[in-house]
Formats: sequence, C-alpha cells, structure tokens
Amino acid sequence: MAGVLIIGYGNTLRGDDALGPLALERLRTQLGDAEFLSCHQLTPELAERLAACDLALFVDATSSGEPGTVEVQLLSPETSEADSLTHHVGPAVLLDLARTLYGRAPLAMLITGAGARFESTEGLSQEGQQALDEICRLIPMLV
Amino acid sequence: MPTITIDPVTRIEGHAKITVQLDERGEVQDARFHVTQVRGFEKLCEGRPFTEMPALMARICGICPTSHLLASSKACDDIMAVRIPETAEKLRRIMNLAQIIQSHALSFFYLSSPDFLLGMDADPEERNIMGVVRKYPAMARDGIKLRQFGQRVIETLGGKRVHPGWIVPGGVSHPLQADQRDQILGEIHEAIRITRSALHWFKGQIEFFRAEVRSFANFPSLFLAMANDAHEFSAYKGWLRFIDANLNVVADHITGTDYQNYIGESCNDDSYLKSTYFKPLGLANGMYRVGPLARLNMCQSAGTVQADEELAEFRELERHSVLSSFYYHYARLIEILFSIERMETLLHDPEILGKNVRAHAAPNNFEGVGILEAPRGTLIHHYRIDQNGLIESANMVIATGHNNLAINHGVLQVARQFVKGNALEQGMLNRVEAVVRAFDPCLSCSTHAVGAMALDIQLLAADGEMLDRLRR
Repeated sequence: MAGVLIIGYGNTLRGDDALGPLALERLRTQLGDAEFLSCHQLTPELAERLAACDLALFVDATSSGEPGTVEVQLLSPETSEADSLTHHVGPAVLLDLARTLYGRAPLAMLITGAGARFESTEGLSQEGQQALDEICRLIPMLV
Repeated sequence: MPTITIDPVTRIEGHAKITVQLDERGEVQDARFHVTQVRGFEKLCEGRPFTEMPALMARICGICPTSHLLASSKACDDIMAVRIPETAEKLRRIMNLAQIIQSHALSFFYLSSPDFLLGMDADPEERNIMGVVRKYPAMARDGIKLRQFGQRVIETLGGKRVHPGWIVPGGVSHPLQADQRDQILGEIHEAIRITRSALHWFKGQIEFFRAEVRSFANFPSLFLAMANDAHEFSAYKGWLRFIDANLNVVADHITGTDYQNYIGESCNDDSYLKSTYFKPLGLANGMYRVGPLARLNMCQSAGTVQADEELAEFRELERHSVLSSFYYHYARLIEILFSIERMETLLHDPEILGKNVRAHAAPNNFEGVGILEAPRGTLIHHYRIDQNGLIESANMVIATGHNNLAINHGVLQVARQFVKGNALEQGMLNRVEAVVRAFDPCLSCSTHAVGAMALDIQLLAADGEMLDRLRR
C-alpha cells in the first residue's frame, strides 16, 4: 500500500456533503499505511503532495445520481481555464497541477457517493449512510 | 447616457461589479464600484454570548478568518478587561504574521501575477493562474509554496488552515510545543528566498507598467494604519494614526474608545459595501487608504534587517508618501519579507514556549473594541453586551470599507485613462478591474457572496438600451 493518499473532502455541517471526511474517519483504522487528508475543498497547495504519491483516491459527495449509490471514476490530468484557484479546484485539475509543476501525477480515482440531503445539518441521511457504507467497502479493494 | 458595466469583477475575493458611465461624446464621465451581495454578520450575532464571537465572526470569510479571530478576541479581551499573558501575545502576533504571508501570497501570485507575467492585454483565456502555471511554472511553484508556508504555520498553531480555533478571549487555548516551533523555523529560509526572488523580479517589471503606475488610483489621500512610538511597522498592537500625502500626522493616538470620532461610515444606494471616511473632513473630502501601502507610508522602519533595506528602496519611489495604488503589490511583497523575519525573531524568543497563555475573567466592561492590521488593512471589531454577556450590537469596520472611496476614485481615474469610446476591449476593461485588484478587496468580509465568478460587461446607451456586451 506504499504511496497511497486518500483525500476526503466536503463540509461536515452540510448533511451528506460530509461523506468524504466521514469515510476517512472510518478507514483510518482499517488502512493504517495510507496517508489520509480531510479538507473542506481541494486547493492548489495539495498538488505537491499528490505528486509524491503513487495512488490518489478522492472521496467526495454528489447531489446528482441515485441517492445511496456510489460511483468510481478513473481520473486523468485535465487542463482548466479557471481564472482563479483561490477557493476550489477539481481533482483532475489538481492532477494537472501536480504533473505540470512537480513533474508527475499519480494514478488517481474519484469515488463519489450520491447523497440526499445537503442543507445545514450535521449527520447523514439514510441514503448518505448507505453510500458511506459502500464507499468504505470499496476503498480497501482499490488500494 | 452610455454605461459600461463589468459584472462581476474577477480575481478578487467576493463579488462586485463596475459601471463606467460615458457622456454623449463617449468620454468617461463617472465610474462606480458596486458590491452586489449582502452578508449581515453584525446582525446575526445579536443575542449570542460574547465569548462565541471569535469563532462565529471568523466564519465571515474563508480567506481572512484568522484576522477576524484575532480582532474579535481582542474585542473580547477588552470586554473582560484583561491583559493577556506575554507569551500569548507573541503567539497571536505569529498567527497574524502567518495570515499576512498567506493572504499576500494569494493576492500577488494567484490573483495578480497573471497581469504582470502575461500582460494586461493578454487573452483572458490565458491571463489567469493556469496560464502562469503553464508558462512560468517556477513562479507558480514559488507562489504555492509561500502561501503553503503561511497556511502551515496557521495549521500548526490553530489546528486548521482555514477557520482555525486556538485564539480565544484572554489569549490562546494552548502553548506552542518545541517541535512545532522547530518545524516552522525549518521553513523560514526557503520562504525568505522565494520572497526575495519575487521582490527582485517585481522591481524589474515596474518600468513596463508606467501607465498603470500613473493611473492606478494614483492621487493624494490620507492614509490610516496602526502606529506606535517607535514609528515601526505595527500590525498587532498600537493605536491608529492618520497621515496625509506629505507624511504629516493628521490625527494620532486614536484608540478603540474614540475611533468613531475619526472614522465615519456611510451607506451607499448602489452597493452593500459601506464607505468610511475621515470624519473631521466629512464624506466629500475624507477619503483615505489602508493596507500595505498605508502601512509602509506610515512607518519609518520595518524593524527587521532585510525588510528595512527593501523599505528604504521603496521610499525612493516618491519624495513623500508613495501614492500610486499599483505599488500595493510591491508593498505586499515587502510585508511578506518583514512578516517572515519577524516571525523568526519571535520563534527564537525564549518565552515563546511559555505555558501561561491564557487569562480568564468574566465581563468587566459592557463594550469592547479590537483593532488589528489585517493583510488588507485596518480591521475593527466593536461589540456591546448586556448584563448577561449577550451581544446587543456589533460593528465591524473592514479594510475594504476603509478603501471603498479610494477604490471608486481609482476606478474613475483608470477608466478615464484607458476606456475610450463605445468599443469594449478586454485589455482596457482588465485595467479597470486591475485597479480594484491592486487594493485586494475582500468582499466576503465586507458583505458576502456565493457562486462562480465571471465577467459581464454591458455597454448601455443614454436611454438604457444595451449597445454591446462582453461576458467571460
């Protein structure tokens, strides 16, 4: 499991948007050798860490798709015309930053769980909980 | 009457638009900077315990939470009437310096460097940070690394890069550990190298931006910043001082108890951002500027070796105050250098690992004011509480509000220089935006906004008919 970086991102105060950070909390004990990074959003400062790992797994929540379902997507670096990187960048753009600025981008996957409730609240919906269980079942098989 | 509208302005923190009013001959008659969305934190905190204010008020912005945390905690110190332990004060100073570093690095490298590196007239599809990444990767790496350094210090001290805790009424919640200190110290050398390199590069670029230097909010005005008896750079402790364009002191020793005698606030019909002004001169004549340019004009020395050398060179730009707001960028880099040097000095202070870092007290005053030099300028938090310690009223005076009159005046100046006739050109419009960007306004702090930033420029005829429109 050398060089595995798992990044869970989302807002823990916005219901099912907490899927990424909550998945990390649960996986920490299972996957002791991986590096875990929990954050609200992806920012350019993460590019250097990405360039240093062999496999990157991005764990995010989505409001599209059937609530409770999980999708795994292989990522490749993607250029962006975004005029500002101050608040948020997507995982594919982050991979491009890692490749352009630090010479390499790791193999990377995006794991998204479809949530049902994203209003200002703590805790997952039933569908969110279902997605969380599925994410935590899948990730050990991916690393 | 034809009007050009830039809505929203890009590469700033938050959302705004600019309207440029043309006369019948196509000449610029007026220009206005509008902040288009409201935040309302002063209202929503009413009725909450004053002790909640640092954590609550910091949520106003994801770029400046540390500044609000500090100003708010200082206001709470004032309510409790405590003098915080010396170690706590030094630790708070380090936090403030880290915030200045990360915020200035964001402004210079992420937001403004595309204009310097790729040119004001470059295609907007390329003139952005991704364009810099592709064409100048070393500069982009440096920018990311420098901001990362500031953020890492904030994370080390406060537990998180964004919305840290740790700074509390009465001091900080826990002491600094030796390994944390050593970790920060280990990164100082590289941070200084990057900053010196950026300064060297920027100074070499100035001659290519003479038109911008001449027209980017380049006019006499008052300046406001924190001051002290030593006339050194001051960002955490001191009183407020106004100086004029000739460096004469206009008002001095202004404290939290009397700031409202000198700083007036005016609401605008066309913007959610208030305009503040120097009260003795009234709204019409009381325009002043805050932030890096004001602070460097205010101090006689930075108080650190390398920053003082740079400050001496900076002062050679003008006989008296440096007036062009284009030089905000230059001043930001000098402030980063100062902040790193000062941080190193504080970290080597034997008291920095002291264990007494918090004073405890119940409210002893019904009112408290906290003043801080945030990256963008003077920040004031002012609270009134009832006998149960609940907030009755809150007033926040934000750097962007202080600068609002000057931003408006600057937009008009640059529009007159670069906007000619009814044709819309990206380079011309970018300069109108860039003068706003020079001030590094934070609209999230001063009001707030959500959503993706874009650019919408409308050219309207005298009767309101849209003649032309550009969007990006």
